[in-house]
Amino acid sequence: MRTTASEYRRARPAALNFEDLLRPQVEYLYRLAWRFTGSVADAEDLVQDVLIKLFPRTRELLEIERLRPWLARVLYHQYVDSVRQRARSPVVELVTDESEDSPLDALPETKDGPEERAERSGQRERILRALDRLNPEQRAVVAMHDVEGYTLEELEKVLETPLGTLKSRLHRARQRLRALLPMEPFSPGERVKE
Amino acid sequence: MECRDFTLQLDDLLDGGLDALQRKAIQEHLESCADCRRQHEHAVAVLQAVRKLSPPALHPGFIDQALSRATRIAEARPRWRPKLGMALAASLVLGVALGVFFATQPTVQTVALTIDRPETVRLMFNSAKPLKAATLSLALPENVELVGYGNRRELSWQTDLREGGNLMQLPLVVRGATKDDLVASLSHDGSSKTFRLRIEVDDAGRGM
Repeated sequence: MRTTASEYRRARPAALNFEDLLRPQVEYLYRLAWRFTGSVADAEDLVQDVLIKLFPRTRELLEIERLRPWLARVLYHQYVDSVRQRARSPVVELVTDESEDSPLDALPETKDGPEERAERSGQRERILRALDRLNPEQRAVVAMHDVEGYTLEELEKVLETPLGTLKSRLHRARQRLRALLPMEPFSPGERVKE
Repeated sequence: MECRDFTLQLDDLLDGGLDALQRKAIQEHLESCADCRRQHEHAVAVLQAVRKLSPPALHPGFIDQALSRATRIAEARPRWRPKLGMALAASLVLGVALGVFFATQPTVQTVALTIDRPETVRLMFNSAKPLKAATLSLALPENVELVGYGNRRELSWQTDLREGGNLMQLPLVVRGATKDDLVASLSHDGSSKTFRLRIEVDDAGRGM
């Protein structure tokens, strides 16, 4: 008697199924998460949180026909939740209780490397700053519609949000970006307004 | 066509959602209206600029690590979640965040916990470079428990720190008044740093 694909999957350890299903999607999730957050660290965290949340739902994932839009929805909700949670949960610096010099203190302060610095400079930096000024829902619709190419009708289903609301979010987001990135496009010295 | 009509249709125009007649009407308007023409050019330029943004390459090994972590994670255990590039100033920093956080004095960091209510305290270590096999030790004050570790007062883990921020989530529960601080020590290759966190007990919710 032959085993069907779904029987075979059900019999396998969840971790194997989970990896098979999600491995091809992680890079996509990261890209989308970066478009939501504009930060590698935040995007990686967001993807990690989504994966942790999804592992217990591996059986459910096996039944999903079009996984990518479904994952985009999970990522979107995780992103919106994380922005709200972060607003309630500030990270602050703790001071050490030692005044003596420590080799750990002498470690060079690292920020971005030269390549990353250059990349984040100029126009790229200004656009990222402008995107940061959008609320998470607006930023997500820009990322998913304007960049990733989902139509608003697709997003209506993916995000389970009425079309009119999406249109309005997109309109306001684009309007805000234009206000934040004034003419003539992004010349040196152009300032992102508060 | 009036300028107002053009503005109303701009989003549809950008999305290619207009029919040939509507596009022709807009085209004719743009030829005669410099303001709307500039507005259109600006809108197209901003859209293109946003589309051109591309994410930096994914951190090497991230996919393997993230999948593996997702399948191994255990809820009650403290969890390391490396965060690159957190905007903290010092070369090695411990930060604390909590839903109900109050501590703005530069020299004293305090969190408030409610008796018998587990809450997650997040400790952020910002490392200037990757540290292999760093040891993190926690000394918990009296009446403070790490969820899942019972009454253990001293705990330590060996872990690799990535460059940038490394976030550790500690599910804590406070059982009564506490006098001492929670002490976290990070040591690596003969050097160590110690951080203190004062825990204030809020017993307002008790007996509810």
